[in-house]
Amino acid sequence: MEYILLAVVFIPLMVSIFLNSISSLLNERLTTFITINAALLSFSVSLLMFGALLLDKFKPISLEMYTWFPDPEIKFEFLLDGLSGTMMLLVTGLGLVIQIFSTSYMSGDPRYVKYFVYFNFFVFSMLLLVMSANFLVMFFGWELVGLSSYLLISFWSEKKKAAKAGSKAFILNRIGDFGFLIALMMILNTFDTFSFKKVFETTLLNQPENLDLIVVFLIIGAFGKSAQFPLFSWLPDAMEGPTPASALIHAATMVTAGVFMLVRISPLLQFSEISSILVISVGLLTALISAFAAINQDDIKKVLAYSTISQLGFMFIAIGAGAYVAAIFHLVTHAFFKALLFLGAGAVIHEMHHEQNIHKMGGLKKKMPMTAAMMGIGTLAISGIPPLAGFWSKDEILASTFAKGGIYYGFWALSLLAAFMTAFYMGRHWLLIFHKEPANNIDNIHEAPKMMTRPLLLLGIFSIFIGFINTPFFHGLEKVLHSTLSDVEITHLPEGIAVVILALISIGAGFTGLGMAYLIYIVDIFSYFKFEIPFLKEVRSLSSEVLYLNKVGHYLFVEIPKSFVRKVAVVIDGLVIDGFVNGVSNLFYKSSKTISVTQSGLVRNYVVYFGLFLLLLVSLFVATPLIVL
Amino acid sequence: MLDLILFAIPSLFVLAGALIVIFAKNPVHNSMGLVLTLASLAVVYITLNATFVAMVQMLVYAGAVMTLFLFVIMMIGVDKAEQTKEEIKGQTFLVLGTLILLGSLLAYVVINSGFKWDLWFPAVDYSIEGTPDLIASTLFTGWVFPFEVISILLIVAATAAIALAYDTKTRKDDD
Amino acid sequence: MIEVTTDWYLTLASLLFSIGFIGMMIRKNALIMFMCIELMLNAVNLTFITASKHFGTIDAQVAVFFVLVVAAAEVVVGLAIIVSIFKKQETASVDILRSSKG
Repeated sequence: MEYILLAVVFIPLMVSIFLNSISSLLNERLTTFITINAALLSFSVSLLMFGALLLDKFKPISLEMYTWFPDPEIKFEFLLDGLSGTMMLLVTGLGLVIQIFSTSYMSGDPRYVKYFVYFNFFVFSMLLLVMSANFLVMFFGWELVGLSSYLLISFWSEKKKAAKAGSKAFILNRIGDFGFLIALMMILNTFDTFSFKKVFETTLLNQPENLDLIVVFLIIGAFGKSAQFPLFSWLPDAMEGPTPASALIHAATMVTAGVFMLVRISPLLQFSEISSILVISVGLLTALISAFAAINQDDIKKVLAYSTISQLGFMFIAIGAGAYVAAIFHLVTHAFFKALLFLGAGAVIHEMHHEQNIHKMGGLKKKMPMTAAMMGIGTLAISGIPPLAGFWSKDEILASTFAKGGIYYGFWALSLLAAFMTAFYMGRHWLLIFHKEPANNIDNIHEAPKMMTRPLLLLGIFSIFIGFINTPFFHGLEKVLHSTLSDVEITHLPEGIAVVILALISIGAGFTGLGMAYLIYIVDIFSYFKFEIPFLKEVRSLSSEVLYLNKVGHYLFVEIPKSFVRKVAVVIDGLVIDGFVNGVSNLFYKSSKTISVTQSGLVRNYVVYFGLFLLLLVSLFVATPLIVL
Repeated sequence: MLDLILFAIPSLFVLAGALIVIFAKNPVHNSMGLVLTLASLAVVYITLNATFVAMVQMLVYAGAVMTLFLFVIMMIGVDKAEQTKEEIKGQTFLVLGTLILLGSLLAYVVINSGFKWDLWFPAVDYSIEGTPDLIASTLFTGWVFPFEVISILLIVAATAAIALAYDTKTRKDDD
Repeated sequence: MIEVTTDWYLTLASLLFSIGFIGMMIRKNALIMFMCIELMLNAVNLTFITASKHFGTIDAQVAVFFVLVVAAAEVVVGLAIIVSIFKKQETASVDILRSSKG
């Protein structure tokens, strides 16, 4: 039974290898056939496994492939529990849906096969990451998703921007991975094992001294992968990749790997107060900054990218507040509605002939009713309008934060602000694309093909109903994660009337945000009342430039090192090293010039030298006392 | 007494010839001085019981080598008198300095130990005759290998001399 | 009664060598410099013969033969060089030959 786990993980890898090895023989139809069926198989097996897990009351299933290293024991092992089961279903399920979408979106691309090679490789890496039973295997998956993300971002590498964005994503991810790697070393040093089970058991009995440090380094890894402040600027740039890939990697799965990892290490995290504070404050900061940045973006995908960062911030807030179930819940719902939004955006981009500026769209709802409706559902879901998915998860996060009390009231208020901003920019996004009077001639725009709208429909339905897996009335996800988080103290929703009031407040925030977006961007209330907002231009540029963080980062980490290195090159290389080398050669040149005066070329001079040295020799003989043996 | 005369007179001729070699202006005179030195040395060799060496000295040095010298002198002309004026800058000082050093070294040695040379071993009380018989038996037994090597040296020298002379000639013909 | 000892011969040889060496330094005619070399070689030969008598061994006289041969070879090559130089430069002076100047 356990060995079926291997099928889930390795089917995508085998498909990837298979497609790559015979790529020259394949046309689009064959590729589609192979990859879709493989994804279907993978998803079915996942469902089967999840069903088996469900029947067994989520008792973790573990599988040891082999022992890699005997002492300290490092095994290649997999683990299926509620957490990884949820992620497994999410990855394979969304992978299937998005691959169906991709077959239409990517059709006609000269590197069609290559795309699916990378795509399946990504699915494999992600599954490796989530199914791992120890830190090392997780790290392999962690690095491989980084690699496949790089490959997919710079998929159209002939575009210079795409190639650059890929490198940027890779490098910024490396910073986070560096933290993860340090944490790995410390874990091996402290616990003498990588296995989650043993590490957690040891920690529960008595916490090691450097636990805080280990957790902080792991969190740095999570920040890098999940695009949290200050390592988030790669994600908006990553939108250069194909949109379906963005939907899977940069919205639904890979970027949530950090959240997944933090939930996975929650037995460690609960003992580290400082890490929780770090996670929640960085999550909040990220949520606010990126929500603010999303308000004035022009690119249809960049809005979604910043929105993703913001929602990831929410998940981190949940983790920092100890609401691990809420974090995973939001991860799941976000995966659906963000994938929906991205695929919808992909459909729009596809039909607009790769026009991505939302100011050049408008009025598309008549031309693309299906896409508009589905993206509308996504927008409502992310804004937290009940009974859609986003409402349940976001409200659970907010309520759990509130329930913690103390300083968390402040966190709650700021999160609410971020939720309001989310509704505002998502409302703006949808209205500008679909509702506003068209700016350009859109007569020849029509609905996306069925291969695109059907996945949208599917995701739309899920975006509506997926929220019901964990409501205050039915704690489904909590039961799923029960065995995983059995030793972890989880923040629960507040009791009684408080939860209703909190829900009402967050619904209010959502509606207010959407309403304000309608008033400002459609009714244009400010010009109606002839009201001038002070500093509007400055705020706008502040938003579109992401508080100038990119520029500052560019200046700090690119320009200053560049000029420093240039100075070093001039001073160290030019003056010191060249000076030394030239000095040595000059020394020899000059000294030999001086000495060569004696080399007059005149035989008789040489005779004199010869005589002088002969005399010197004789003098030595005379001066040396004879040693008679 | 006879020993003294047999030593002193050839020695004087040796030194006189050497001085002629270095001070005479005419190259022919120089070579004649060299002949005098070499011949007198042969006499000295005889007083040292090296009769065969003395004969070879007379034949090879005073005969063949000097003939070669004279031949070259005649070939390049004796009338091109060498200018005695010193032309190299500093050479006079260098020579004088060297001479002074030599003189002072000599003076030191003489003052320290007179004309007694420290030879480590006293002279043997028998005398050997440098007859062709003895020399040949030594040369062709213990010294065969150097002998063969020196024969190669001679061949090389002869070849070199031919090459040097021949090369210039053909080049002139080509011009 | 003055006895002629080994020291006397060695003194003579050293004087001869010194004269040859002084000649090397002060004469600029290549031919005469060669003659000076011959003088010095003969001083060495004299030393060899003296040693032969002093130590009562014949090997020193054999060495003299080798010196003779080397001197003869040197004279042959040296004179050939002088002749070819003279053909080019119409003089036997060594002072104008400065091609090895550093």
